[in-house]
Amino acid sequence: MEAGKKVITRRDFIRVGSCLTMGSLMGLPLIGSVSAKKSEKSRVVLIRDKNVLDSRGQLSESVLQNMLDRAMTALTDTPDPVSAWKQLVTPADIVGIKTNVWHHLPTPEPLEVAILNHLLDAGVKKENISADDRGVLQDSVFQRSTALINVRPMRTHHWSGLGTLLKNYIMFVPNPWMYHGNSCEKLGAIWQLPHVVGKTRLNILVMLTPLFHGAGPHHFSSRYMWPYSGLIVSRDPVAADATGARIIQAKRNIFFGSEKPISPPALHIAAANTRFGLGNSRADQIQLIRLGWEEDILI
Amino acid sequence: MIMQKSHAEQLDALSAALPSQIGIWTAEPKDRMYDRETIFRYIDGAGEVYRAYNMRSCLSRRYTSPNAPAIVLDIFDMGTSEDAFGVFTHDRDGRAVDVGQGALYRPGWLSFWKGRFFVSIYIEEETEGAKEAISDLSRVVASLIKDRGPKPGLLLKLPPEGLQSRSIRYLHHHTLLNYHFYLADENILNLGQQTDAVLAVYQRSGKRAHLLLVSYPNVEEAAEAHKTLLHHYLPEAESTGAVVVEDGKWSATGRKNKFLTVILEADTRPLAENLLREVLAAL
Repeated sequence: MEAGKKVITRRDFIRVGSCLTMGSLMGLPLIGSVSAKKSEKSRVVLIRDKNVLDSRGQLSESVLQNMLDRAMTALTDTPDPVSAWKQLVTPADIVGIKTNVWHHLPTPEPLEVAILNHLLDAGVKKENISADDRGVLQDSVFQRSTALINVRPMRTHHWSGLGTLLKNYIMFVPNPWMYHGNSCEKLGAIWQLPHVVGKTRLNILVMLTPLFHGAGPHHFSSRYMWPYSGLIVSRDPVAADATGARIIQAKRNIFFGSEKPISPPALHIAAANTRFGLGNSRADQIQLIRLGWEEDILI
Repeated sequence: MIMQKSHAEQLDALSAALPSQIGIWTAEPKDRMYDRETIFRYIDGAGEVYRAYNMRSCLSRRYTSPNAPAIVLDIFDMGTSEDAFGVFTHDRDGRAVDVGQGALYRPGWLSFWKGRFFVSIYIEEETEGAKEAISDLSRVVASLIKDRGPKPGLLLKLPPEGLQSRSIRYLHHHTLLNYHFYLADENILNLGQQTDAVLAVYQRSGKRAHLLLVSYPNVEEAAEAHKTLLHHYLPEAESTGAVVVEDGKWSATGRKNKFLTVILEADTRPLAENLLREVLAAL
């Protein structure tokens, strides 16, 4: 270890009692200077439709499309989906759709297609759109991108507690393992890298069949998935993740019959708020709009 | 350490000996093999755990049935029994079952270690039939692994009184220490492939503490790590011995030859000091 290097220890965390002042300890920008706009509440749309999945778990593309459209118009206060997407992108944009290919629970292809079609409707050229996950650093569209759409399913995760929208950008660094310390608490730093910062126009957390618990090498069992049949849509990734995390936590508590904290704790969500200024994680700073099916909504 | 590779226990030999049928489940025609690089393609980020324990290779076999979810058998050759035990201690939830040299069962997943192998058997959806099949398969695999192996010798240095045996984690890397007990964002103990470490919880008279014991390749490296630890984590310890940290709990550290130990978050000063004295005496 380099002599004189600033080290953040467990004692620092205990001392401050939260991550609030850690930004200054790390030489990172303070909250107010990077995110003055975050004094406003973040709008998050949670939409559910019990018909999006049939009894065998098959996805209805038309219902999913309709959910996305309703969510987008509610998010942007626009009368129709085309207007909504035109608020996010312009024909001059070069757009990367950051997906997730984890084979047990990938970003649904029909959702990728729906996003692609909406971008085309908004005037973005086809050759300026690409959907990718693990190849984003090599993808020429992502390399030239002016805008990013972030879309992935919510699940528990071995290192970070939760596989979130924030976590989904780990493929924008060549050395993901560097971010695994302390439950991946520093993931927010990736969003401040030059090739990422300020580009994200929309975040879609897929809550169709979330994974609320995992174990073993594959961290997967269908026993720990359920048909929540929802999408969480927001411009604020932190608020979307925090909302999804509350639902996952509620599901765990019900399933296990007692308080069963997400493990390891998803520290990166709060840190993205307090340390990296990427958005709002506190419920009282989130304007949650609930649409559609309300049964067992868990939030 | 069991380093010699008995031909009968090579993964390909195990592959040939594995049953092709378990209950209603039939093995897929071809097993898959992964090495330290390709393991990431198979199990995503958690592959790092196996690499951190010196994984040599992994054999994966799927058993399928038209009427039931697939059973996935993964056999990891960890190179040594110490590392097979180590990776087994990474996740200690579950009910202990009598398979191999240590086994745990959680809904849908059984893991065990024997010799230099760590074995995971899981099913995507648990049924009564699947539970029985997993149990049967685990016993067959354990019987095919002929040689047993020792646990890490470092465990013998742990004071026995109050040791919570299910809390023991054996590891090499800073990342894994932080996974179980976050100490610092930097590798202030200079942990790595050449270091062996044990983390354990103690409980005495209702009071708790964590004990971390690290074995370095030589005295010089242990001394250097101790110096870095004192500088970054316990600067007061050189003058006061045990240190009360910010949450009112106690920490203490000491070194003897190539061994470094740290008592962390002890509920009381006597517990911290007693544990430190006892472990140093055992080195």
